[in-house]
Amino acid sequence: MEFFPASFSIFYQFGNAFAFLVISCAGLAVIFGMMGIINLAHGEFIMCGAYVTASTARAGLPLPLAIACGALTAALVGMVLERTVIRHLYHRPLDSIIATWGISLIATQAVLILLGPSMSGTGTPLGSTLVGERSYSIYRLVLFASAVGLLGGLYLLFYRTRFGVIARATIQRPEMARALGVDTRRVYGLTFGLGAGLAGLAGGLYAPTMTMVPTMGATFIVESFVTVVVGGADIFLGAAPAAAILAVIKAALTAWYGQLFGQIGLLVAVIVVIRVMPGGLSAFIKRWQR
Amino acid sequence: MNPIELPDASEAPARRGLKLWLSRLEGPQTMGRGPAFWAVVVLAVLAALSYPAFANDYVVGNAAYFFVWTFMAMGLGVVWGYCGALSFGQTAFFGLAGYAYGVITINIGSAFGATWLALLLAVALGGVFALLIGYFMFYGRIKGVFVGIVTLSVTLVLETFMAQTAGPQWRIGDARLNGFNGMSGMPPLTVPWPGGDIMLYSGTALYYVLLGMVVLCYLGLRMLLNAPFGNVLVAIRENPERAEMLGYDIRLYQMLAFGLGGALAGLSGALYTAWGQYITPSSMGLTAAALPIVWVAVGGRRDITATLLGCLLVIAGFQSLTIYGSQYALVVMGALLVFTVLVTPDGLVFTAINRMGRLFKRVRR
Amino acid sequence: MTRILDVAKLNKSFGGVTVARDIDFVLEAGAMHCLIGPNGAGKSSFFRLLLGEHAPDSGTIGFAGDDITALRSFQRIRKGISVKFQVPGIFKALSVRQNLEIAFQYHLHGASLGDTVRRVLEFTNLTGEIHTPAGVLSHGQQQWLEIGMAVGVEPKLLLLDEPTAGMSPDETRKTGEMLHELNARGITILAVEHDMAFVQQIARSVTVLHMGAIFAEGDIDEITAHPGVQEIYLGAADE
Repeated sequence: MEFFPASFSIFYQFGNAFAFLVISCAGLAVIFGMMGIINLAHGEFIMCGAYVTASTARAGLPLPLAIACGALTAALVGMVLERTVIRHLYHRPLDSIIATWGISLIATQAVLILLGPSMSGTGTPLGSTLVGERSYSIYRLVLFASAVGLLGGLYLLFYRTRFGVIARATIQRPEMARALGVDTRRVYGLTFGLGAGLAGLAGGLYAPTMTMVPTMGATFIVESFVTVVVGGADIFLGAAPAAAILAVIKAALTAWYGQLFGQIGLLVAVIVVIRVMPGGLSAFIKRWQR
Repeated sequence: MNPIELPDASEAPARRGLKLWLSRLEGPQTMGRGPAFWAVVVLAVLAALSYPAFANDYVVGNAAYFFVWTFMAMGLGVVWGYCGALSFGQTAFFGLAGYAYGVITINIGSAFGATWLALLLAVALGGVFALLIGYFMFYGRIKGVFVGIVTLSVTLVLETFMAQTAGPQWRIGDARLNGFNGMSGMPPLTVPWPGGDIMLYSGTALYYVLLGMVVLCYLGLRMLLNAPFGNVLVAIRENPERAEMLGYDIRLYQMLAFGLGGALAGLSGALYTAWGQYITPSSMGLTAAALPIVWVAVGGRRDITATLLGCLLVIAGFQSLTIYGSQYALVVMGALLVFTVLVTPDGLVFTAINRMGRLFKRVRR
Repeated sequence: MTRILDVAKLNKSFGGVTVARDIDFVLEAGAMHCLIGPNGAGKSSFFRLLLGEHAPDSGTIGFAGDDITALRSFQRIRKGISVKFQVPGIFKALSVRQNLEIAFQYHLHGASLGDTVRRVLEFTNLTGEIHTPAGVLSHGQQQWLEIGMAVGVEPKLLLLDEPTAGMSPDETRKTGEMLHELNARGITILAVEHDMAFVQQIARSVTVLHMGAIFAEGDIDEITAHPGVQEIYLGAADE
């Protein structure tokens, strides 16, 4: 069966790109989509999760637990940050860009100063498998499954739990929520913490595949940004399909022209989408649904 | 309360041409008016003129380096502070013009004032490119955060593209683009002179030329911003729908302001290349794209004077910090940003000047 | 008498909601006319269609003999339409004088600009507030400032969307007097209003909109006595 290895290769490329986009943008999408805040420190939350995961994994913790630690640490840091800085920026989107970029600078440099230019990471677990004549990393397949699971989990969280309903209500109509007795400040804090935690999760999941450097967040930030902007404010109607489409574009361009043109293709896609669909995919889909 | 003075009424016939433009040096869009303010300005310029007498050529050349960046900062001040569009794209025009200067001068040399022609063309290229992007954005009704995103994307596309031009096939005429290694070997600004052209390498002569440019640019912008054009920009910033409903084609004004910002960023880019005879794609990278925003945010974007002073202070401060430890310099930069946003959102320099002004109980308008 | 506004078969829907249904509307120059109707009748949408904020699905809009259906908002304004929105559309951070200058500066320069600014200040009773940031003014003063900005260049048609919203009875009455003065100078007035007392004060004729279509038209007394009109207001209140 010649067909299977070829289509598996395509599926793998796509799945790899898709997983990367979904996992890395989930946290940003939650914060931007639900709170309207552009978090340029997103990459640093990822770095935080990655560093914690790598350190705890090397200290002996099994990888899944280490990843959980990474995510949790990032979430806690996020909640602290929300209380101290972010809280004051809710209706100032441009100022939130600047402030979070400042935080990103501080975080990157602080890690560089305290922990040095790099830290030993952990190796990629689970080895590889042969399909056709090529070998594929099993861990990357696990990442794809994680991405799908993540989307499912977030859906359950936001649409099936009390927290999710309250969070969505608070973000859409804060005065109403407050009138109904919701502690909106706690909701904002928890939601930001969730976004930060998801970023930490991304860092933890990808830690075994990358070298630990303080600027590793930069690898994620541009593409997760692109996905969130193209997707629009809604994670499920927007970011997920956006990730799928962008994954196709990126995988195709990378396969034909190489890494750099894959990147350029994504950026051009952003420009085109913003011009043609100002609210992103989700606004477009919602209008189409009517 | 002042009696109603609308000076235009009785003096209108006399205020034409030069007098009209000079009167626009002061106005509602710029801080500072009256003899006391202008005395301070004159003193500052005199101090700058005499600075080279007290410092060696290298240090003066370094000060010239600071001046190079002020145009980009002022341009961003116009686009962001006066027109309300946060652009991450200034470094795209910076880089484009820088490379243009390099390509043109490598190809046609520096004789007979060619470098000045190259400077002009590079600035024009930056401006035209900015007009195109401005057209794409503002006539496409892109606004707010998305202006930032589109401009950042453009900058990154340019950087990514230029970074992979390392191969020998990437050349324009005699000029090899050289990818991430950067382009070098272009001549500095050269003044044609009988008996031997004066090459303006980083040093005192270049310092004076740049100082003159900064002063001209600053005064010119003051006049423009207090003119009806500036009024419309500010109106668009404050309430774009209302500005449209008063009969202004706001897309046109935004595009023009953006073009001006691009031309000024291009001026910085070309001068930077002329100053150091070197330009690389990293001048269009993520960090480089955000630096002008730092200067303008910390200085104060609502006022061109604050922007100019803020830019000089932050760059000088950053450089002195880097001498002591570049890692700490960036931490301080970050902290400065957060502090500015939370405590003095109008900008550190702007707020400081305002406080001082109130201390001297300046009578306004 | 010339027609200042000539709207023919105007239609507009958003998704499933029809905000304008086959509207035929004619306004003579020099009229003082009000547009009334229950909430959701489509009054503000009609204004937005007139101003060019939305493009109609079908139909034409004629202004002073020209077809403006394809023109952009700022082009329509330049032809002589002026608008005052419900929420004060002023430049809050700028001074009263700057607000007015911005409003008039593309028409006027120098001496005439200064003159017009002074006249409008007197007309709107804001002479003493010339240097005040517009955001600091009281709500009623902000509304007057906006009317001043809208009429300083003597437009042909002035559109007002609930000009007395949030005003005290005194301010409301003063606004009505202002509008009469403007009308006497030749400006046609078309206002959307809820305050029936104000409508009585300023309007000679009235159009009633209901669910995007014209329900009734006529002079003010006929309309207030019209049983159908009372019903649609009551009906809307019941919902």
